Amino acid sequence: MHDGIHVEKAGLPSATICTDRFIPTARGMAKMWGAEEYPTIFTEHPIENLDRGQLRERAEGLATEVVTILTGS
Amino acid sequence: MTSSNETTTANWDDIFNAVEALYDLGWTDGLPILPPTTDKVAEFLAAGGRDGAEIVGELPERRREITAEKVAANAVMAGCRPEYMPVVLAAAEAMLAPPFNLVGPSSSMGGAAVLVIVNGPVVQELGINSRNNLFGPGNRANSTIGRAVRLILMNACAAIPGLYDRSVIGHPGKFSYCIAEAETETHWTPLHMERGFSAGQSAVTVFASEAPRQVRSVGRPEAILYAIADVASSLGTSLSTSGSVGDPAAGIRQGETVVTIAGNSGLWRDWTKASVKEFLHSRIRRSVADFKRAQVFPGDVEPGDEERMVPLTASPEDILVVFAGGEESNMSSVIPSWGPKVGSTSVTREVRR
Repeated sequence: MHDGIHVEKAGLPSATICTDRFIPTARGMAKMWGAEEYPTIFTEHPIENLDRGQLRERAEGLATEVVTILTGS
Repeated sequence: MTSSNETTTANWDDIFNAVEALYDLGWTDGLPILPPTTDKVAEFLAAGGRDGAEIVGELPERRREITAEKVAANAVMAGCRPEYMPVVLAAAEAMLAPPFNLVGPSSSMGGAAVLVIVNGPVVQELGINSRNNLFGPGNRANSTIGRAVRLILMNACAAIPGLYDRSVIGHPGKFSYCIAEAETETHWTPLHMERGFSAGQSAVTVFASEAPRQVRSVGRPEAILYAIADVASSLGTSLSTSGSVGDPAAGIRQGETVVTIAGNSGLWRDWTKASVKEFLHSRIRRSVADFKRAQVFPGDVEPGDEERMVPLTASPEDILVVFAGGEESNMSSVIPSWGPKVGSTSVTREVRR
């Protein structure tokens, strides 16, 4: 969250993905940095145990949302 | 970065009302704390020799500047005596030093506590316990210095459980985790002198770590060290995992490990801390086969995996040996670091008086 918000503040579009166990923490960080509207993608927790194929599958499922945030369309 | 420096004042004419009000403010660790009155905070700042506005350290990721006043207020709330302030300040400076990377261990699911190890003359002067019931309870200096560190984390560094502190299980050391080395009762070089300080200096070492794991072994030194190495080589610790490794070539995290060794120093007359570390470093390891069975490494166990060993510490110097604990028996403890050294490294700072 911290890095995504700062990249965005520096003028580079960013999309941040968090697992859904961290929704309050992510929202808290956004608020702390005055970026309450910062768009964050939440995905089901956990991802630590996913193998390469499963992780790719998860990422593909989020790709459209990432593009939407990055392009603002 | 001024968000931590807003001051709230209130008038409480009754201690019980004050304690309840402090709960309502969310400033406690779950146990009652003392009110940080203006006079008391000023007294603690004077004892620490600091101006209240002095910046002790920063936590830029959370937009926090930690002032001496915040340290003093939390030391008062923790139940410290004013003369403990230099130790609390040194601990705060150490955990806010960049190599400690406080944002990591204070937020992680790994549930680290900050172990505070005190060395030097200040141990005797303040009566910090290094012997029986090493990890508590019962001694005011240990209990309240360790507690002050936790309250600083929660109140000044925003390590709020459930919000920015995302520990999955945490551990009891997160209430208080402060020990001293019994350096006057051993021929071993005290920890702070191994790290460049002199015998006349006092110092605090902070270590982001799991809970202590007791090692019961009362044989010869080799037997004791063999048991310590076995406990330190466990699967399931923060070190024996393949997530967030420091050195990808190692495959696992390879952090630091604190080992406390108690009992009678005479038993160790033929040993130095260096020889203890060498002995342990070569034995704190686990087979590739075990790491595969525990799915730390991928794949099935193959011929040769039982014999291929992976060290859990990169160097003997990553094992911090502390002579401490009751003298009744040679009971030891193993304390694995929260993560790899790249995530957080132990830091030692002088107690300035």
